[in-house]
Amino acid sequence: MLNEFAYCPRLGYLEWVQGEFADNDDTVEGRYHHRNVDRTQQRARPRGEGNDNEVPKIHERSVWLGAESLGLSTKIDLLEGEGRRVTPVDYKRGKRPHVPQGAYEPELVQLCAQGLLLRDHGYECDEGVLFFVGSRERVRVVFDDELVARTVQLAAGMRAVAAAGPIPPPLVDSPKCPRCSLVGICLPDELRYLTVGEGAAAPPRPLVPARDDALPLHVQHPGARIRKDGEVLQIVDDDKVIGEARLAETSQVVLFGAVHVTTPVVQELCQRGIPVCYLSSGGWFYGITHGMSHKNVELRRRQYAVAGDPARCLALARRFVQAKIANCRTLLRRNHPSPAEDLLSDLKGDIRRAGQADRLDVLLGVEGTAARRHFSAFAEMLHPDESEAATFDLESRNRRPPRDPVNALLSLAYAMLTREWTVVLFSVGFDPYLGFYHQPRYGRPALALDLMEEYRPLIADSLVLTVVNNGELRSEHFARAPGAVSLTAAGRRKFIEAYERRMSQEVTHPVFGYRISYRRVLEVQARLLARHLSDEISEYPSFTTR
Amino acid sequence: MRRVCLVSYDISDPRRWRQVYRTMRGFGEHLQLSVFSCDLTPAQRVTMIAALEEAIDRDDDQVLLIDLGPSQAQPIQQIEALGRPLSVRDRSPVVL
Ligand code: SF4
Repeated sequence: MLNEFAYCPRLGYLEWVQGEFADNDDTVEGRYHHRNVDRTQQRARPRGEGNDNEVPKIHERSVWLGAESLGLSTKIDLLEGEGRRVTPVDYKRGKRPHVPQGAYEPELVQLCAQGLLLRDHGYECDEGVLFFVGSRERVRVVFDDELVARTVQLAAGMRAVAAAGPIPPPLVDSPKCPRCSLVGICLPDELRYLTVGEGAAAPPRPLVPARDDALPLHVQHPGARIRKDGEVLQIVDDDKVIGEARLAETSQVVLFGAVHVTTPVVQELCQRGIPVCYLSSGGWFYGITHGMSHKNVELRRRQYAVAGDPARCLALARRFVQAKIANCRTLLRRNHPSPAEDLLSDLKGDIRRAGQADRLDVLLGVEGTAARRHFSAFAEMLHPDESEAATFDLESRNRRPPRDPVNALLSLAYAMLTREWTVVLFSVGFDPYLGFYHQPRYGRPALALDLMEEYRPLIADSLVLTVVNNGELRSEHFARAPGAVSLTAAGRRKFIEAYERRMSQEVTHPVFGYRISYRRVLEVQARLLARHLSDEISEYPSFTTR
Repeated sequence: MRRVCLVSYDISDPRRWRQVYRTMRGFGEHLQLSVFSCDLTPAQRVTMIAALEEAIDRDDDQVLLIDLGPSQAQPIQQIEALGRPLSVRDRSPVVL
């Protein structure tokens, strides 16, 4: 643990206090090389006491050691020695770096900490060995006074930071960040950009991956079963394989209606941190299964504290509503053939009023008014084919159940966005049920509803416009019952595909200027909220497009 | 960044061949009898290599990893196929 802290104090804090962890090739390879070493696990015990004739040889793998006095614990890959004199051996991936000390500081310090722990346990230990797997080289490291002093100093620093907080600030424009496994969680350049103010700092380097390594799997085929075949999920219907998804490339599994999963599949998904979402066949979000909760207890504490502070709740709520209205206005400007001037200026007024609202109920009123204005013009942004015009005729927003196709699409789009946000919030470590603007109500992910406000026009409304105006969805994709309209299975599948295309689409981030997919935008947004709650950034940056 | 890697293998024992085949299906697309095309992050590549090394016999089997370059450049399209056309689907969400 000391080597992370030596690499960057913030990294040490994120991993050891906030329980953040993310894999990159270094961590995966590290684990893989350690596996050979890990086969046997033992505790170190001074040996040979009371038996002078025989000096026992020590050769033990994966030895766990802890020491109260140092406030450290560590795992030693290999312990070699004779009698009471021992040498810890630490395995490192790759080749020996060509630096005068034989290795970089984090590695030296880590090894030296092991030596100090061994001393604490009654051994004699003056040096250690770094074994570089790539070049099969042993590098001898002498624990001289300087290295020992540095190690003790770092250990003390780490204990102080871990005990008292606050989180150490990110490194400035450091070449370490691009190689850091937590760069997408830490957001070093983004934070700096937001804290010193635009213009004063260089725009963030695009260190957050623009695209997604893993993507969702949706199954809405009635009666389908999901099973595991090696590294692959197979979706079968009547023993016929109708589709597959690789586990390594799956981010979440979304099940509509009567789709079956086996317990081994659920266990595998939980282990890999892939959530399973359960929806009614119509898309109503029922629940979610995920592995053991994220360890970031500190974040949830902050969330509860802020949610209990009416002034901070109101400030956040104002930002959510303002951004939502601003994005509605942009949608109108872009998609309406001739947006009425007073409608646009009315919405501008709503944004101002939302910013001045001094109570939540006032804010709710402003939001409602703006939503009615936006919706009144929504029909005019729809231009389906002549022949389909009757299908997409729209009078009012109606929900449960939706009474016309456009409302059915809007409801499904909002439900998908709610599910998306709930998953993102869980994965970042939030409690999705406690919001700042939306009040907690049974079974309602209030924080997800808060955060999705500004994305309703950007993702859901614009998606509905696209599928209608492109003729992707037509009257045959809807089933009509008295007083209710729903999508057919084929229609729903088309709509989900269009939704996922929208989420994969790359946009220019309005604050940071780099290109990034909508899926990742949501994650960055949730992490920015976390940084705001912990007071690292004073103002919550909303996502508004121009 | 993601890179495309062609993985081909020569496995002398049918049981191990089956094991390697099952492993590889989790990482890429099956192109030919013992050839997969994989679009991998560096971390996925390391995981795949670890899984393969577990499955093969170091003395009798052989796996070749042929790096074709960054995924954005769609290097798979540079491959010329005689006979049946080569089709590799884009990574995209699965909707069924
Ligand atoms: S991204 Fe940079 S600042 Fe953040 S933890 Fe990693 S090394 Fe430290």
